[in-house]
Parts: sequence; structure tokens; C-alpha cells
Amino acid sequence: MVVGRPSEKSGNAPMIEVVDLWKSFNGRTVLKGVNFKVWAGETLAIIGPSGCGKSTILKHLCGLLTPDKGEIIKRSDEIGLVFQSSALLNSLTVGENLALGLRRRKLSKREQSEIIMEKLKLVGLADYINTYPPQLSGGQQKRTGFARAIVNDPKIILYDEPTTGLDPVMSTIIEDYIIELEHELKAASIVVTHQLSTWSRTADRVNLMFAGNMVWEGSPTEALQSEDQYMKQFAHATRQGPMAAGKV
Amino acid sequence: MNVTAQFKRLALTPQEMFETWFGSGLQLCGQTIIMFVLTLRCIIKGQIDWSEVWRQCYFIGVNSFVVVAITAVFTGFAMSLQIARELVLFGADTAIGGVVSLALIREIGPITAGVMVAGRVGSAIAAELTTMMVTEQIDALTVMRIDPVQFLVVPRYVAAMLMVPLLSIYAMFIGLLAGINIAHIAANLPPETFMDSVKQTILDRDFTVHFIKAGINATLVIMFSCAIGLHTRGGAEDVGIATTRSIVWTMTMIFVFNYIVTSLTYAPR
Repeated sequence: MVVGRPSEKSGNAPMIEVVDLWKSFNGRTVLKGVNFKVWAGETLAIIGPSGCGKSTILKHLCGLLTPDKGEIIKRSDEIGLVFQSSALLNSLTVGENLALGLRRRKLSKREQSEIIMEKLKLVGLADYINTYPPQLSGGQQKRTGFARAIVNDPKIILYDEPTTGLDPVMSTIIEDYIIELEHELKAASIVVTHQLSTWSRTADRVNLMFAGNMVWEGSPTEALQSEDQYMKQFAHATRQGPMAAGKV
Repeated sequence: MNVTAQFKRLALTPQEMFETWFGSGLQLCGQTIIMFVLTLRCIIKGQIDWSEVWRQCYFIGVNSFVVVAITAVFTGFAMSLQIARELVLFGADTAIGGVVSLALIREIGPITAGVMVAGRVGSAIAAELTTMMVTEQIDALTVMRIDPVQFLVVPRYVAAMLMVPLLSIYAMFIGLLAGINIAHIAANLPPETFMDSVKQTILDRDFTVHFIKAGINATLVIMFSCAIGLHTRGGAEDVGIATTRSIVWTMTMIFVFNYIVTSLTYAPR
């Protein structure tokens, strides 16, 4: 069920198209016919309460899960995923973690180093190239994960809770990176989050998910002013409304 | 509380408990066989990261030399003492070296090295890979289109296939040295007599079987540990469970396969 306005951009095919996506785990249906499209150069925020199926959508998009029913059409196989937990390999240095993404491109050592340094400079971690992840702060690990996700200049970038657990300043820095990348790479981006500042700053469009369905769609400005019972409850963080605890 | 009461407390009947245990065991064996086939496929294709292999050789082999030596020394002491005591009674003290060396090369050497590698390396691999699963590091590899089997399992397997036979033969020699010492002290047997008996008893075939057993042990330790590690999901508690499961399965399988190889190669015809 898609409620709200679809923001189709005339002429171009969407970079990502999700059609009637269904998924169950151990008899519990997590996704119930999800539909959405994302175009190149656009950032879609998928928001919603914890456990509503947001991260499950991302795992489908990057091939970690296969749908029970439905279709996912991607115009590029070059996908970067920023994990909520950063997911850096602790036995490798920051530079080696980034080099993992470049393995299949058969580049020379010098070319690899140049790309790695360029990406690390972008996230302000050029001095940490030989540092191991456990020696980094949470924010630095997140930025390393960010640099690793974009090391191949992907056409599709997925962010799983990119600012959760970070202080407000670091959250703003990460949000700025997301905005910067959207302009620089012209990639189709999906940000899964429940942080108001993150979706309101980074997204061109917002989809609100609840209990496996997309229940609202619109721009961040519309989201904040919406009278829709779901969106209003989520945007204003009130207890009264259809998204009561336990209904997810 | 008796066993039936304990099962009732867990809300499982003994039959359900057995089915759960048997089902998960069968599933693990299937996962291990698939992992072995995938690993061999990568090796045949030459997809081996040699720098990682050498790093793993250091971890699996070099770091195990001390524990294997300590275990082998005391096993050699105990075994030589027992054998010497009995053979001296029958006046067959010149056969002590042969019997000790046969036991060491056919059984004790491969088992000592296998069990120590299972305890030290297998558990560490299971814990490491489970942690990587739990913290989404394996998912990150998959998203970057890196095959986790090629990246994580192949180097460990190749390194184990190089190092476990070396550790086995090393355990055998250490055990033999211990045996010579004890035979000299306890049965007053000169080392030369001990070694003469060894030379007369050991055949080339014993070395072949020794290396076959070592190779099988290496395969069991790495494949079971990796299969458990790469198929466990959950949290911190599951890392502990996976580690224990890896030790139990690899050690049990080492003893089972040791018997199978022995029965196939040394059974009376």
C-alpha cells in the first residue's frame, strides 16, 4: 500500500524500483508488499519505528536477502552500503578495509593507494590509514565505513542508520557527507533512519514505514507539517496515535 | 532433579531433545561438506591469497609449537613408562622403542597435534568468524562481492594443511625423545637399543598413514570451525556457544576419523 504522492521525474528511468516486495521470517511477515522508486541524484529516506522492516529492505537491495515475492529492479550493480555497526574488519587497517572494495578492479598498488587516500581525505581520516578499527572512535569508524562504501564511486548508496549512536556534531558531519555525495556522485541514495535531523536534512523524499507497509510518502517539509495520523505521530514523537508500542 | 524432570522444565520431551540435537548435527555436517567442496573449488581455481596463508601458518603452526611440545612430552613420558613397566616383566625390554614409536607415529602424534590445534585454533576460528557474522562483517564482504569462503576459509585451510602435518611429526619426535629418556631412567634401556628397536619396527607405510591422518585432522578442524562460525547468527552468547560447539565437534570427529583410517589401514586381514 503506497499512500501519498509518487515523485516521478519525467523522462528518466528510476535507478531502483521495488515492486510488491514481501518477506517473512519464521512465519512472521516483515514486508507486506512494499513499493517505491528512487532516481539518480535523489535521496529517499525510509523512516519508521524500530522493527518495522526498514533494514530488511536494504538487505534485499544489496543482495543479502532474497524476496519471498516481488521484484527489485536496479539499474546498476555498483552498490555501496554504510552499515549501522560500520562492519569494519578488525584484523585489517583502515586502508586495507578500503582496499577490500577495490580487489575485483585489478588496480595497481599505486592506483589503489591514490583512491584510498582520496576517499579518506573526503571523510577527514587520511592520517588514520594504518590504524586498526578498534583504535578508532565510534564516529571515526562510521566515517571509515562511509569511505569504504563509496570507494568504487557507486551509483546506488544505501545508508543503514548512519547517525544512530553519534553525538549531534558528528551526526551533522555525516549528514553533510550524505548531501555532498548526492551532488558529487549523482547516486541514488536510500537513508534508513529514525533520526529526525537526518531525514529532514538529507532526504528529497520521505517514506514512512509501519508494520511492513509504506504508509506515507512526501517531502521532508510536508512530513513535518503533515496531518496524516501516522506521519504526525512519528514526526512529533507522541505516544498517542496508530503506532502504539507493540503494534510494530 | 532427574533427567525427565529437567526435560520437562525445558518444555521438551527426550524425543524432541534428541530430534533437535540430531537435526542440528545433521545440518552442521551438511554445511561442513558444502564448505569443503566450495573451498576445494577455490583452491583448484588457484584463488589463494598466499600472504594471508603465511599469516595463518604463523598463527596455526608457529604459535602451536610450544603447546604441542608440552603435550607430546608428557604423553611420551606416560606411555613409555607404562610400556616399559609391562615389557620388562616379560623380558622384552628391547622392544620398548618399537612399541612406543609405533603408538606415536600411528596414533599419538596425529591425535595430539589434531586435538591441540582443535582446542587452540579451531575454537579461535569459530569465535572470530561468529563475531564477524554477528557484527555484519561477513555481510560487508558479500556486499563488496568478496566470497567469504575464498577470503576467510581458503587461507586457513591451506595453512592448516601445511602446518598440521608438520606439528604431527614434531609431536611424534618430541614424544619419542621423551620415551627414550623414560626408558633409560625406568628400564635402564640404552638409547641406542631403543633406537634400534624403532628402526626395525617402523615402516614407510606408517609415515604415509601418519600424514593422511594429519591431513584429515586439519580438514576436520578448519571445516567444522568455519562452518559453525559462518552459520551462526545472534549475539555475544552465540559466540560462546559456537566456540564450545566447534571444540566438541572437531575433537569428536578427530577420534572418529582416526579410528576409521586405522581400521582401513591396519585391520587384520
